Amino acid sequence: MQEATFLILTALAAGSQHGYGIISDVAQISGGRVRLRAGTLYSALDRLRMDGLIGVDREEIVEGRLRRYYRLTPEGARQLAAEAARFQSNAAAALARLGLAGGMAR
Amino acid sequence: MTDTAGLERGYRRWVRWYPKAFRHEHEAEILAVLLAGARAGQRRPAPMECVDLLRSALWMRLGPRVPRSNRAAFVAVKLLCVGAVVELAAAITILVTIGDVRSNVVERSPGLTEGEWHAIVAGQLEPVAVAAGIAVGFWLWTAWGIGRGHRWARIAFAGFFTLNTVGLLRGLIQGSAVYARLDLAIGSVLWLVELAAVAQIFHMRLAGSPSGDSRRSCTR
Repeated sequence: MQEATFLILTALAAGSQHGYGIISDVAQISGGRVRLRAGTLYSALDRLRMDGLIGVDREEIVEGRLRRYYRLTPEGARQLAAEAARFQSNAAAALARLGLAGGMAR
Repeated sequence: MTDTAGLERGYRRWVRWYPKAFRHEHEAEILAVLLAGARAGQRRPAPMECVDLLRSALWMRLGPRVPRSNRAAFVAVKLLCVGAVVELAAAITILVTIGDVRSNVVERSPGLTEGEWHAIVAGQLEPVAVAAGIAVGFWLWTAWGIGRGHRWARIAFAGFFTLNTVGLLRGLIQGSAVYARLDLAIGSVLWLVELAAVAQIFHMRLAGSPSGDSRRSCTR
């Protein structure tokens, strides 16, 4: 799973979000390191919908503009949990070998 | 956030690169996201925004629309793209091994004149190299077709595989396929890629998920 995909799914893990909300959340989760552009976001959302990992939750009109909210599907939640567990396991192994297990060096 | 009509028109022009069906469903939404993310006072789309929209739109038009769960179709598309690269290598190989072919032909027919050799190059080798070049396009075209769930692409590729198999067997029987070892090696690799792709295509058919899996549902 690519990092952008992982971050988009993570952004949707706490609840449904619209496109700009996902962009803002991904930037926040990644500490400003990943800033998705609209084209990249909609390519990713299209792929995730096709794979059945996300779905459309609802639509709203705000200030005359359409907002479509996306939500994680059960399969999306399952794949995100599996990927997060894999990252966690790898990170724990790396920290253990660096002698940093139990917390980061200060 | 800025609400400039000119900026919206600019974004709309770039969003037109997306396929019509995608625009119908997402244009208003993408425009809202683009405008929400615009800098204060921004009057026209930034160059990187245009590149991003164009790249995304072209991918929507040309990229495969096969869900990852449809493994056979996913692997078939990848194999067809690999086949295009190998076919290109084959076309180049045919051109760079003309010298080897000539040595072998002269060995078998010592009385070969310069004119006869030119006739062989013009009548047999050059058409094969041109056909290989056209075949590169065919591989990519069928990859696109299968990636989009078109049934014709499977039939077309199965026919292509049959023709190439007959051609390779005929070359081996007549001995012309072994004039240059490199030609034979790359031809064999190409045939194996074709065989693997055909196997995946038949697997897709047996799985009973020809085009339905690869088409995106419009709304959930």
